[in-house]
Amino acid sequence: MANSRAFIQFYDEPMWESIRAQRWALQQCDDCSQYRYPPGPCCPHCVGMSASWKPLSGKGKIISWVVFHRQYFDNYKPPYNVVAVQLAEGPLVISNLVGPEPEGGWIGREVTICYEPDAEQGSIPKVKLSAPPAA
Amino acid sequence: MTTGNLAKVGAVIGVGQSDYVSDHARVRAGEKPHDSYGYAAIAFRAALADAGLTRNDIDGLIVGPTVAYERVGEVLGINPRWGSQADAMLAVIEACAAIKAGLAETVALIYGNDQRSAAVQYGGPEAMGGNLFLSYVYHAPWGYTSQGALYAMMFRRFMEVTGITEAELGEVAVAQRLAASLTPHALMRKPITLQDYLDSRYICEPLHLFDYCLINDGGVALIVTSAERAKRIAKKPPVLIHGVGRFDLNRGATSLEPRLLDFYRPAQEACASQVFNMSGLGPEDMDAVQIYDSFSCHVPFALEGYGYCRSGEAGRFMREDGISLKGKLPVNTAGGHLSETYMQGWNHQVEAVRQVRGECGARQVEDCRFVHYNSDVAGKAVSIIYGR
Ligand SMILES: [Zn+2]
Repeated sequence: MANSRAFIQFYDEPMWESIRAQRWALQQCDDCSQYRYPPGPCCPHCVGMSASWKPLSGKGKIISWVVFHRQYFDNYKPPYNVVAVQLAEGPLVISNLVGPEPEGGWIGREVTICYEPDAEQGSIPKVKLSAPPAA
Repeated sequence: MTTGNLAKVGAVIGVGQSDYVSDHARVRAGEKPHDSYGYAAIAFRAALADAGLTRNDIDGLIVGPTVAYERVGEVLGINPRWGSQADAMLAVIEACAAIKAGLAETVALIYGNDQRSAAVQYGGPEAMGGNLFLSYVYHAPWGYTSQGALYAMMFRRFMEVTGITEAELGEVAVAQRLAASLTPHALMRKPITLQDYLDSRYICEPLHLFDYCLINDGGVALIVTSAERAKRIAKKPPVLIHGVGRFDLNRGATSLEPRLLDFYRPAQEACASQVFNMSGLGPEDMDAVQIYDSFSCHVPFALEGYGYCRSGEAGRFMREDGISLKGKLPVNTAGGHLSETYMQGWNHQVEAVRQVRGECGARQVEDCRFVHYNSDVAGKAVSIIYGR
């Protein structure tokens, strides 16, 4: 086994730099304004080649979630959660929910991006619930 | 748009496979009986014998993705006039297309995989397939790899949207184990109950151990020829390919949008429309269904996507109408990837052929005229209808 490590291709470099600076940024298409994830050479919506790196608002909501009961990495000891989050900017991203867990359903809960230290990448974006669970 | 029609162009006249049970026992005992090419050779010889052909009757060659095209041809001494490399379902479609185009007349489709004895990893730092499917490796920084975890995430949202329960999903594992118990060449033949399923441990919650496919070594081969030639030379009743379909969802594949937001439904609907239009048949004509089941939840997704039940009703359909050999719609009649053998869709083609031939013994579906195969691996939906 080994620690988890980012799969960094040519267009991913600026994104991980922004994450290390704790200001996660994605490319926004200069032609149609769509955000894209993962980073890439052109816009999947309009095939435009021109884009600008824009910091994310940090807001999103949980689309789905799982709990791992099997270990695949040294630095992820089960049980641990993984969530799929739809960012306010549009794209879906994968992360882990840290801090208090929702008491009712997870899906649809608002979350906020936060950062944790990471041995391999320096810093890694996680999410936490935006508001405490309803009483 | 007008497209060429592949209905009843090709027919399967031979099927073959390695000895899954004996090889699995040997691998588990620490032996390595064969490599991928050895399994491929065993399956090819069996398929030739089943068809009553010799190697020299083959003029087209398609090999599976786990072996090298040239080396398979070299090992088996095949110099074809046409060749390709494809997964199980696309191999069948390509064979029909090549026959229709006159590029080949009798095509051997050959697969071998030593994934178990070679300790292929499907999750973790060395996850297989990451070079082809970025989603298999891209989310590793958050501890998220393995195809099972991708399907677990998809099924969790499906539960939320449709109300399907874990117990309803358990119908898949229970039904397919029953089928495997009646299949001499299946690996997992001890029947399980719904309670066994619910009591089994989670691997990636909400999926249990019994929702995951097996990992084993083996080989599969099929011989496909023109329907016209099949009538003249086949030893057994030819099994016609009545229709095929394909639709791929690539946009948003790594960020999982078509998977999590649409459950690949648009691909399945496009594919269903192609295969049913081409064959002039519909879901109501199918006597059995084979579904690519690396994970059990492929089954409810496909039942809804291909119109076997209404949207949001797969859970009720599986529980009330039934998908076992005793149910309304028998699915994966030899046990599928969960209980028969994990031959990455190749075993499903063989089972479809055998059901239409009527040679399935205790697991035979009565008066089986048409069998529908479908898969939605990573959003690549493929559909094939086999029939008399
Ligand atoms: Zn654009």
